[in-house]
Amino acid sequence: MQGIFEFFFKFRPLLFQEGDLAFASPWQAMAVLGLVAALAIPAVLTYAAARGDTTPTDRAVMACLRLGAVAVLVFILFQPVLVLTSVVPQRNFLGILFDDSQSMQITGTDGVPRSDFVQRTFGAEGSELLTRLNDRFALRFFRFSRSVDRLRSVSELTYEGTGTELGEAMLHAQQELAGLPLSGLVLISDGADNSGQILAESLLPLQAAKVPVYTVGLGEEALSPDIQVSRVEVPRSILKGTTLVVDVTISHRGYSERTVPLLVEDAGQVMAAEDVVLGGDGEPVVARVRLEAEESSPRIFQFRVPIQDGERVTRNNVREVLIDVVDETEKILYFEGEPRWEVKFLRRAVADDENLQVVVLQRTAESKFLRLDVDDAEELAGGFPRTREELFRYRAMILGSVEASFFTQDQLNMIADFVSQRGGGLLALGGRNSFREGGYEGTPLAEAFPVFLDDEMSDERPFFAELYVSPTRTGLAHPAIQLGGKAGEEVTELWESLPPVTSLNPITRVKPGATDLLTGGSEVDRTSQVVLAYHRYGRGKVIVLPIQDSWTWQMHADIALEDQTHETFWRQLLRWLTDGVPHRVAARSEWEVVEPGQAVDLSAFVSDSAYVEVNNGSVVATILGPTDDSLDVPLDWAADEDGRYDATFATSEPGLYEISVQATRAADTLGAARTYVRAAPSVAEFFDASMRGVTLQRIAEETGGLFYTPATVSSLPEDVSLTGAGVTLTEQRDLWDMPIFLVVLLSLIGVEWWYRRMRNLV
Amino acid sequence: MRAVVPLLSAATLAFIAGPSTPPEATAPSSRKPSSQRPAATRFLPPEVVYRAFGLGDLDGRAEDPAQDLSLPREFYFSRVAYTSYGRSFWRRGSWATDYPKADQIFLSFIDRLLPNLDAYEREHPVRLDDLEVRRFPYLYALEVGRMALTEPEVEGLRNYLIAGGFLVIDDFWGTREWANFEYQMQTVLPGYQIVDLPLDHPIFTTFYEIEEILQVPNVRNGVNRWQTHERDGYVPMVKGIHDENGRLMVVINFNTDLGDAWEWADHPYYPLKYSTYAYEMGVNMIVYAMSH
Repeated sequence: MQGIFEFFFKFRPLLFQEGDLAFASPWQAMAVLGLVAALAIPAVLTYAAARGDTTPTDRAVMACLRLGAVAVLVFILFQPVLVLTSVVPQRNFLGILFDDSQSMQITGTDGVPRSDFVQRTFGAEGSELLTRLNDRFALRFFRFSRSVDRLRSVSELTYEGTGTELGEAMLHAQQELAGLPLSGLVLISDGADNSGQILAESLLPLQAAKVPVYTVGLGEEALSPDIQVSRVEVPRSILKGTTLVVDVTISHRGYSERTVPLLVEDAGQVMAAEDVVLGGDGEPVVARVRLEAEESSPRIFQFRVPIQDGERVTRNNVREVLIDVVDETEKILYFEGEPRWEVKFLRRAVADDENLQVVVLQRTAESKFLRLDVDDAEELAGGFPRTREELFRYRAMILGSVEASFFTQDQLNMIADFVSQRGGGLLALGGRNSFREGGYEGTPLAEAFPVFLDDEMSDERPFFAELYVSPTRTGLAHPAIQLGGKAGEEVTELWESLPPVTSLNPITRVKPGATDLLTGGSEVDRTSQVVLAYHRYGRGKVIVLPIQDSWTWQMHADIALEDQTHETFWRQLLRWLTDGVPHRVAARSEWEVVEPGQAVDLSAFVSDSAYVEVNNGSVVATILGPTDDSLDVPLDWAADEDGRYDATFATSEPGLYEISVQATRAADTLGAARTYVRAAPSVAEFFDASMRGVTLQRIAEETGGLFYTPATVSSLPEDVSLTGAGVTLTEQRDLWDMPIFLVVLLSLIGVEWWYRRMRNLV
Repeated sequence: MRAVVPLLSAATLAFIAGPSTPPEATAPSSRKPSSQRPAATRFLPPEVVYRAFGLGDLDGRAEDPAQDLSLPREFYFSRVAYTSYGRSFWRRGSWATDYPKADQIFLSFIDRLLPNLDAYEREHPVRLDDLEVRRFPYLYALEVGRMALTEPEVEGLRNYLIAGGFLVIDDFWGTREWANFEYQMQTVLPGYQIVDLPLDHPIFTTFYEIEEILQVPNVRNGVNRWQTHERDGYVPMVKGIHDENGRLMVVINFNTDLGDAWEWADHPYYPLKYSTYAYEMGVNMIVYAMSH
């Protein structure tokens, strides 16, 4: 197409885009117009006067055709020219950036790696493109992956870089060439950036400096056939014995509707397996895998799809994730206002869970409390906690059927703060003294609940409803309500097979931003009442379960003796309740995996027993590396955030680094925390490794450059000459001799002749 | 611990002054059914049990409009209506000893001793071969010396206990009755041991601090200040059966008669110390069962 354009218009479209139209005729405009008039007026008059067999239409058509021919001739007589600005040869620099990352090793359908273009074009003697570039510019070569370096020859490229940072590469090259007349940068890459940086921010300095970037995209925009484990979402730390429901996103091309196994492995041992039916071409599917972490230690789980026949990239079939499986006891306070079977059966359900300690404070009579599973005789000896230190020692709290008036206003505020400030979990159970029936309207807890308490009653009689329960769409995906190792529709079937429970609390609406996971109602419509809902409230979360007899799922005649539904439900619910609840001291690294030798940014968050941030503490991290060498790194208070302390340390050997943080203030120990960082070569280059034409085009467009592929790159030298920055000169190129003029002229005359013949006017 | 004493004394005065307060009048809750209540009951009404055992129609109490048998309550004092050897002179099986007065009086006291407990105010007999028995996690059985469980009852009780139910045994005496009870329990729970519950067991401190296991005499012996034992049951014992995880599921009050002490707590000549002990044990067993 471009060749046809160039044939008729003499030049490529780019020149018309870049240039300005002007006329180089030495004649005065008035003289030309006079000449035009001299030719046109007689012609028009002649046609107007001529009669014969012609009709007015014939005369008008022929006059127009003749005038058109005259107009073309006049336009040519004006000597149209294209005024172009082009760079002065050998006066400007051009930076050429080569992608030196591993993805350049990926081969195309012809078996040739992407890097071959670079070697062939910039490494071979007598390369035409290189010669033409050299004729016009002083070339400066760079290579980039995670870092950017000057390059003397492309033979130095190794294609072993474990990451691609396009923005950093362009900025580095621009800065290095700053002060020189720079025509632009040529970026030769597959465009697969995995830096995590926002590209637009990197382009701003280039736009400001008016440095155009010419991008050359290597590779195919769609690798087919190929399967990729695109995403695995897991928490960095979980409690031992927790059942994880992990969403694994698998994308593919060329294997539509194929069923492939998804394996989860821990140190070579298969922990879980799930058959996944792939969707249409290019459509990602999300597979859900249940996984139990039984061994307490940092575990590296592999999520793997076995290599399929003919796969283009095999190293993107597996993803590794690091999960710290923590063996600690989550202490939960269960405050119950009356003797209830929920106490017995809840305790029974989680009795075998060594990682949950449910401390029960039960009001058996007025001012008489039963304490169960307390650590010592002092714990809760005075009844419900009266100080923040006393309450905040628990990781979560279950509020049973106890009227709001039992608490002082301070205690109600304290419970709300327990969630919002301390970050604890609050689970409110239904009962005759819960929610609105317990007088909680207008209290701080009503604000904390994820549900509205003001549902209108149809009459004044106490509410009672029998509820058949069903999970919501969101609930189906939530780990807390998975039952019996099933997933998806099977979860719905299991829930709907359970006997009904009862509620004394008419709660039908969740607040904006809250999520309901279980609903209940009649056997036909199971959605009329909220059964399980939650929302984030400040730093913590509040869950409501407004039913009074979940123990029905244990004791009903329809429930088999060996059935574990009730136990599983409560174990998962309480583990979820404590999940993510902050400790007094927490440690966190910015990245879970780093390259060996890369620095790790470490932060610690420190608070006191009332969970007030501590800024005057002394915080030290002990780093235990893979070779058992230990290093103490002090952390300094980050002045921009209360309670945060920062430090950086460098990894060396590949392996696991254990980071133990100790926080003290004066002689007091504030707490300790532990986290892990893994140093390992990244395989990010093999994920999403198709050529990112859109990204490269965007870079070019936003900086004023152009996008090329190996098939179109031959015009690069001329294009840079015309569109580049630097030292430039202005030149004119004649347009009067464009073949298109002759074609148009002959066409007009020919059409007039044909018209005359057709109308018998010759 | 002694909070129960003035209460019992007050009850004794009430007995002297007139008839005992009917259970309905002391009901702590006035909850009525709402429009969303299921139409069909899933609980076993006492009259059904009565008719099943050929015991008539509960003297007309089932027609009492103040009672709503279909509305669930948190706690039911459920008396086990089991099969027994022979029939006593009043036609009922041994399960119905002191029934229903003992249950009614006991519940009226529980209403005051455990005011926070949402307890069903009436007697509540249940059958072990009824699948719905698992809806009532607290069972009370007495006079088990003549217990002769049928196969469905054996299976029902076994499933009930393994699922998480709690059974209280009372009022059986001596070697012969023990042997029968032990045999019945071995049929229900083969291989499970019956063990003594020491005084430091939580069941003796859950609500009241009980420092001594008393032998509670029947009303005749108690009122006449005769011996406290019956047959060769000289030593009162509290024993238990635990499940595989060490959870107590059966409490056995042997050589003692808590039921008579509950029933006759309002009798002016029945010794207060036995009623006190019986009610303290009764409350402790309920609170323990509902929390452990």
